[in-house]
Amino acid sequence: MVKITVNGRQVEADPKQPLIAACHGSGVEVPNYCYHPGLTPVGSCRICQVEVQQGTAPGRVMVACRTYPAEGMVVNTESAKAHDTRRECLEFLLKNHPLDCPICDKAGECDLQDYTYDEGQAAGRTHEPRRELEKRHSLGDVIVLDQERCILCSRCVRFFEEVPKKAQLTIADLGSRSVVATFGDRPLTGNYQGNIADLCPVGALTLKKFRFQARVWNLVKQASTCPECSRGCSIQVEVLRGGEVKRFRPRENRAVNGWWMCDTGRFAFAHVNAPNRLAHALVRGDAGLVPVPIEEGQAALRALLAERRGALFVLSPFCTVEEGRALQALAQRHGATAVFVSPGPNGLKDDLLHTGDPAPNRRGLSELGLAAATSAELATRMGAAPLVVLAGERVAELVGRERLAALPTGVALAVLDCEVPTARACVVALGVPTWVERSGTYVNVDGQRGPLSAVKPAPAGVRALLRHVADLEQAPLGARS
Amino acid sequence: MKPFPTWLLDRTKLADSHTLATYKKAGGYQALEKVLKQPLAPADVIQELKVSELRGRGGAGFPTGMKWSFMPDPAKDPRPRYLAINADESEPGTCKDRVLMERDPHGLIEGALIACYAIRAQAAYIYVRGEYRLSYQRCQAALDEARAAGLLGKNILGTDFSCEVHMHKGAGAYICGEETGLMESLEGKRGHPRPKPPFPAMFGLWGQPTTVNNVETIFNVPFIVARGGAWHAGIGTKGSKGNFLCGISGHVNKPGVYELPFGVTARAIVDEVAGGVWKGRQCKAWFPGGSSCSLVRGEDLDVVLDHDSLKTKGSSLGTAAMVIIDDHTSIARVMEIIARFYDHESCGQCSQCREGTQWLAQIFHRIATGHGQPDDLATLESLAQGMAPGKTICALSDAAAIPTLSAVRLFRDELAACIREQRDPIPYPRVEYAGAH
Repeated sequence: MVKITVNGRQVEADPKQPLIAACHGSGVEVPNYCYHPGLTPVGSCRICQVEVQQGTAPGRVMVACRTYPAEGMVVNTESAKAHDTRRECLEFLLKNHPLDCPICDKAGECDLQDYTYDEGQAAGRTHEPRRELEKRHSLGDVIVLDQERCILCSRCVRFFEEVPKKAQLTIADLGSRSVVATFGDRPLTGNYQGNIADLCPVGALTLKKFRFQARVWNLVKQASTCPECSRGCSIQVEVLRGGEVKRFRPRENRAVNGWWMCDTGRFAFAHVNAPNRLAHALVRGDAGLVPVPIEEGQAALRALLAERRGALFVLSPFCTVEEGRALQALAQRHGATAVFVSPGPNGLKDDLLHTGDPAPNRRGLSELGLAAATSAELATRMGAAPLVVLAGERVAELVGRERLAALPTGVALAVLDCEVPTARACVVALGVPTWVERSGTYVNVDGQRGPLSAVKPAPAGVRALLRHVADLEQAPLGARS
Repeated sequence: MKPFPTWLLDRTKLADSHTLATYKKAGGYQALEKVLKQPLAPADVIQELKVSELRGRGGAGFPTGMKWSFMPDPAKDPRPRYLAINADESEPGTCKDRVLMERDPHGLIEGALIACYAIRAQAAYIYVRGEYRLSYQRCQAALDEARAAGLLGKNILGTDFSCEVHMHKGAGAYICGEETGLMESLEGKRGHPRPKPPFPAMFGLWGQPTTVNNVETIFNVPFIVARGGAWHAGIGTKGSKGNFLCGISGHVNKPGVYELPFGVTARAIVDEVAGGVWKGRQCKAWFPGGSSCSLVRGEDLDVVLDHDSLKTKGSSLGTAAMVIIDDHTSIARVMEIIARFYDHESCGQCSQCREGTQWLAQIFHRIATGHGQPDDLATLESLAQGMAPGKTICALSDAAAIPTLSAVRLFRDELAACIREQRDPIPYPRVEYAGAH
């Protein structure tokens, strides 16, 4: 580590990391387009120019992404010279940019827009029309390219070369005719394409699934953890007013996923936006399962637990550590056994992020002492139990709806899930929140803990598993009085 | 002009000058033999080059001996090392290396071998401009002849010294003549210049220590080794030693490549060597060394051509490719052509260069075609200042900005008149092209 001065403040800097990283690390903003901490710096956009003084030499304006900190370096990011150089550079970047912000999905989170706004450069000096290129160039199933908006920072090109290590994009042609293109105009492939839409500092690369879906300033954003596999990538969940989840995006976490996530996780909306939620408590009556107040549903389950000792608790692998612990304790108090469903590998394993194990909290639940049981093992064990309690989102799906339908008569089934149960054996069902509606902790395959946080409220009629467990432990209000 | 000793182009005037037989008859490969058999230590060769004060002929004029001495000590850095010879001569006006490669390829090969010996490189790569087909063929044929004669490959001339020389054809990009762009291209990548540092001597071809030299620079090496650095240092002016190849083109009666000593005035070259400005006209402006240096006024032809004197006129020697522009030529049109060249050849990495070269070309096009705007000259100047100096990865952006600034500075009135009158005062065709000579 070396000591440098950034805007008059002494900071410690790693001489192996570019100067811009030291500036960002000490809370000093330096605009950047081609630079990204997860990619090799190329120093081509030239917007990160700052004034650097070394020794007695007069200050020089240099690109912060290709300059490395040295002992005693004095950096001024706000000097008049640095500002002027960046302002000049910005004018060049805007020369052919279409400025179609009002119809651009990136508006509101666009680095070019933000910095232009900061600099207040309102008037253009061009007399020529802007470059006219393809505005909707499909790059496969995931990404669409707007060649006019592109500022040719080459982040997307370097991403494929450096992260999945399979080059798929390049800059074609030269100079002002340059465009980003795939080799031979083939569509992009692989499970990591979505990342280039996050990387794009402007609105050139957009997700087909997010195009015109929301203005980004209307999205409520919350840090969370992706539950699609046991990697548990740190992500941000973004929900539009009204409650629809619009976007999952990776969140920087160098210990887990760096800056990336896979497309499987990125586009896993089906479950969280599913229309047919179990949003009531259901109890089996003469007319089948009928909605009842939550307390009645809980009372029914409480009665079942008291009647049928030796029950089998089957937890969803989507249960958090906290939920696992609470359910485990509940099971113990009722002389029941608790296990969690262990889904088999889903064939998506790669050597980058995806582990191929669809159980996000396998490690967290195992560390609690809960045994994993496959769907086939469960079929036998459930048939022999007087009462089966399925707990956690997607548990019925993972145990297998057919297996549940085939449970012998005499087995009572209680379900705490997000979907409406279909099994004949089901006598009571309670709604629980999805992973975007609750908070808790996952432990990933490497033992890293990742938070879940509630981004949106669960529907009325749904209670968190922890709340259900707490309620079940207490006598009902009526009985207490 | 006083008589002066020549050596660079002497052999090119012989019959079958490109063959090994002619080359050997003229004393060829004796310098290599001297180096290998005497033997001279690599450090002695470098020292001889330092004494000679030879400066690079690729445009920047960097002292060659010093450049070679930047290569790391092989005892401390055992990595393989390379010599790259820049024969991607594509600057408008520059055409000197072509003569050497077409007519005296063995001279280049001998120089390459001595240079490899001095910097302890295992191999040299000659990166030839793609359009130079004959240069490529002649160099390749010369390499085959040299190999057959034991002058190339393993144990050259029966000594321990082994060296390979490879040819590589460019694909038609000016930017691949920039040394780091050239290395990227040699590696099979797009010719995008690399940010410096790291410099080629530490991180060059395939990340190994590399020296990049111009053809004419390398061509001088055998002469300096054979005759001694002091001989070379005794010719020329202070800071500019030896002879140089001057490629003179444009509106002169006898365009061509001439060998000249440093210290001759530009006027002497135009009048006595190139037969004067054509059609009895006057010189209005001229580029001393290719289109990347500042324009100089026709009145200033009395300046001496060497590395330092041209600085007094705000320009530089560059590759000593003089382009003479007569007084019937529109400066707006000249600049339109030059700006279009840089727009076409920018690699597109850096924002300023990619967008700036296009912008300059658009403005000059408008001015030259009678659609200039009142703010154009101010815009041109501020754009050029935003593109240079040293604001981008390589110097192509500077190369576009420098002539622009000089044109606006020297010919402001003419350009302003074009804009004001919405027409170019010089009648069509505005630029007359000299035919092939």
